[in-house]
Amino acid sequence: MNLLEFARGPGLQAASLIMIAGIFWRVCGIFMLRRRPQRAQARHPLSARLAGGAALIATRFIPRRAFWTRIGTSVVLSTAFHIGLMLILFGGAPHILLIHQITGISWPDLPKGIVVLASGITLASLLALLLRRIRHPVMRLLSTTDDYLSWAMVFLPVLTGVLLSGETVADYGTLLALHILSVELMMIWLPFGKLMHGALVFAGRGAMGINFTRKGAAT
Amino acid sequence: MNDQPPKLGTVPSKEQVGRAMRGFMTDFGPTAALAMESCVHCGRCAEACQFYVQTSDPRYTPIHKIQPFRQAYNREAGPFAFIYRLFGFAPSVTATELEGWQDLIYDSCNMCGRCSLICPMGIDIADLIEQARHGMFEAGLAPSDYLGTLAEKEHATGSPFGLTVPQFQQALHDIGRQHGVVMHVDEAKADIVPTISSIDLKTYPGSMAAIAKILNHMGASWTFRTDGFDADNVSLTAGDRVGQAAITRGIVDAAIACRATTLLMPECGHSFTEMRWEAANVYGKDLPFRVMQITELLAEGLADGRIRVNKVTQSATYHDACQVSRRGGATAAPRASLQALGVDLHEMEDSGDSNWCCGGGGGVALINRAKSLRAKAFEIKQHQIEATGAPTVYTSCSGCRQTLDHGGKATAWTKSVGSLLELVADNLAVDNPTAAKPKD
Amino acid sequence: MNNARGPDDETLGEMLARRGFGRRSLLKFAIAMTSSLALPPLVAPAMAANLAKARRRSVIWLSFQECTGCLETLLRSSTPTISALIFDFISLDYQEALMASAGSAATRTLHEAIATNKGEYLLAIDGSVPVADGGVYSMTGGQSNHAMLVDIAANAKAILAIGTCAAYGGIPKAHPNPTGAVGVEDVITDKPIVNIPGCPPIPDVLSGVLVHFIAFGKLPELDDRKRPLAYFGTTIHDQCYRRPFYDQGKFAKSFDDEGARLGWCLFELGCKGPITHNACASLKWNGGTSFPIESGHGCLGCSEPDFWDKGGFYTSLAGGSGTGWRPAAVAAGIGVVGGSIAALTARNRARPDTPPASVPAAAALPPPAGTSP
Repeated sequence: MNLLEFARGPGLQAASLIMIAGIFWRVCGIFMLRRRPQRAQARHPLSARLAGGAALIATRFIPRRAFWTRIGTSVVLSTAFHIGLMLILFGGAPHILLIHQITGISWPDLPKGIVVLASGITLASLLALLLRRIRHPVMRLLSTTDDYLSWAMVFLPVLTGVLLSGETVADYGTLLALHILSVELMMIWLPFGKLMHGALVFAGRGAMGINFTRKGAAT
Repeated sequence: MNDQPPKLGTVPSKEQVGRAMRGFMTDFGPTAALAMESCVHCGRCAEACQFYVQTSDPRYTPIHKIQPFRQAYNREAGPFAFIYRLFGFAPSVTATELEGWQDLIYDSCNMCGRCSLICPMGIDIADLIEQARHGMFEAGLAPSDYLGTLAEKEHATGSPFGLTVPQFQQALHDIGRQHGVVMHVDEAKADIVPTISSIDLKTYPGSMAAIAKILNHMGASWTFRTDGFDADNVSLTAGDRVGQAAITRGIVDAAIACRATTLLMPECGHSFTEMRWEAANVYGKDLPFRVMQITELLAEGLADGRIRVNKVTQSATYHDACQVSRRGGATAAPRASLQALGVDLHEMEDSGDSNWCCGGGGGVALINRAKSLRAKAFEIKQHQIEATGAPTVYTSCSGCRQTLDHGGKATAWTKSVGSLLELVADNLAVDNPTAAKPKD
Repeated sequence: MNNARGPDDETLGEMLARRGFGRRSLLKFAIAMTSSLALPPLVAPAMAANLAKARRRSVIWLSFQECTGCLETLLRSSTPTISALIFDFISLDYQEALMASAGSAATRTLHEAIATNKGEYLLAIDGSVPVADGGVYSMTGGQSNHAMLVDIAANAKAILAIGTCAAYGGIPKAHPNPTGAVGVEDVITDKPIVNIPGCPPIPDVLSGVLVHFIAFGKLPELDDRKRPLAYFGTTIHDQCYRRPFYDQGKFAKSFDDEGARLGWCLFELGCKGPITHNACASLKWNGGTSFPIESGHGCLGCSEPDFWDKGGFYTSLAGGSGTGWRPAAVAAGIGVVGGSIAALTARNRARPDTPPASVPAAAALPPPAGTSP
């Protein structure tokens, strides 16, 4: 069995199962903890609170005006990275194909040139973000192994993906194997590190939105 | 209660860590868990915090301040806690380290909530700080000079200054006489029960007179209750969970005892948050009365005509108390009063929900060694206020008022600081048919 | 051609002349072959001269666990070309499907051929070699193919493993491989082997290898899988005429849809072109008529090892074999159970005697003077 066959076969199966088990474990471990009931009279009814939760998921993407001067760079870089990544994942033909093969759903893809451009922006912003993490005093204090590992787990798939789409650095089979393997590594690490924020962000923002709308507090 | 919090500074180190951990543990519910699982170390919370912004010290990064709390969570209650314990990740802190965290969890956090607003993951960091203080307090690590000392006194006597009920009663009657207002004290039944912060008792007695004046003007049935009077709840900011609940319960019981329909919170931040949003949990069920902050009552009264004011000719700016506006949901209410009074309002840049904390909130004003940090935070307020060009800044929180007063004195600025409540009380329209006639 | 030489020892040049192909034709053929073999053009005259002088080569052809497709494809040449005549020219001393004799007579022929051409014959194999259970799954005349191979390879000059079965085990080797099928290279390790994979291989590839061997007495340059580099050095993807559509992102989404009818790339329909080395896209089949992709079906990757076990012909390279819903559900269940246990056993109750937030009523505080409790 060569590397590509492993990546497309047992490697993919193992990574998928570990990722699924890990995500469910972590989510249940959080939400099954004993909860204290909130008995204070809410300012707004439940429907408004749920709407507030949903709203905060959207509005948190754009910081308040008061914060812009201090976090503008961070917002631009991380937005560029995330949008670039989303364009690649949901606009790139081979990824849409993968989703189609799993779920049966598909949608039109973006032209390859746009996806390659998005990849370039993604890689550049990833590198800029890493530089920031290494140099900024706050980031240096906060950062752990997980931060750097998670960074690598995202950088490698994007890098190998770009090389694969160019098809020149090595032969197609090797590049494809490396790309799929790098994604599998990311899948295995995902439930246990900060990459989980891809799922938790919705829960966290939603919970804050519901809770703060209950109080009429600023969101 | 068979497990009193330790006298400050008297717990042996070994036991300290254990007590801190046990204190942390009771707060690990799904909200705190989600918060601590979500941080992606983006560093934005630092940029919202006045202490980081003014010092550039990365230790003041808000999410960093709760590190021992988070570490305890990972070890004891996280989804993979058994792995953390098995492989020794997130080792237990030492007592010395915990003491080192004191200034991060107390001195340099107002629990103002700006960090919670900026966090892209929706983590309520301010709330985590409040919870982290529980464990610190139980380990005897609340700063003793003098937040911790006040909390101890409040726990023991019900008042942070150890004032007794007769002293409260006397003070209220004295204030009534001095200001020529009818005072209702300890009556058996009333619709509205106002409460007071101990800062007012000590420093701004006029605000108690102002409350009386306004409630009389409205023709309301009201009474102070000396069995549920001091809403300051220093225990809350010190992290004394048990003391906090006792004070809260006392106020609830007093309001219930006189069958009140409204509990009126004074010009104060945390007392409003506590009674409005926590008291029902302490009581164990729905409260049988509304809880309103004084500005909310003023806004309602001005809207339905029970309160009538004359216009003033002055220009001013307004400082929002963090717990009332951003955290408590009463941002619009004070502006209704200002508008009714016809104040020429010059809003600050970053006003309302985005406002900067005065630097004294969350108990920081009660920590002597934090004075220089507070001064740095105050610089932001100074610039904010001066940039409006207004000669006066009004606020509706005695803690902010005191901090602004002290900060102004220290910098010898020319602004005056005023209470919105007293401004309204001083400008009531005398021909209000509903006003009560003074007795006596 | 004055010497009285019989058909058995005439040179290739003489045989061709007899059939009406003169020196010029041979030179033209050599130029074409040189190009096909990716050799430098200057080699062509030398190749022509050598071919003219060449003597008949003995070829022993053994068919093992095969479907006979490789042989059929090699024989199906529509017009007599010099390639076909070269097949005529080799002395196919033993081939079970084609030879007239059978049974013990055939076996005798085999042994005579081996004895006569010891050390000089080419051994051509098609079909895989089953080795399980003592090799009983394919036997000829009481002897297992495995034993035959070992025996006869011993005196061969070189071995041509024709077709994917002989090269890498092919279809019989597909999971679960009940016969223990393997390729020739897994059995014989001490002789030069040329793999000419494909299911079946392109006929021109075999003729190219033979021409090279006849002309120069050695095998052409091979890649790391022992395939002639000239024919297997690039992938289908690299030579495919539909490549521009791949680059433009124009893919057929299902068979016979609009994109398919416009001749768009078949990547999404499972084409394995990018990872398949062969000459189909350039040489094509049936005398250059067409090849699978041109006919609208993705490449199966049939010249690569284990092509049958690569997760499905219609599963594109952008996917693989997933987990299936049941194992995924089991994994999710493990997660739910584990996480819930973690939450329920979480140490988030500090002391049983300290309630979280509710405390006894304010009886601890002195009752206010002048009020009833």
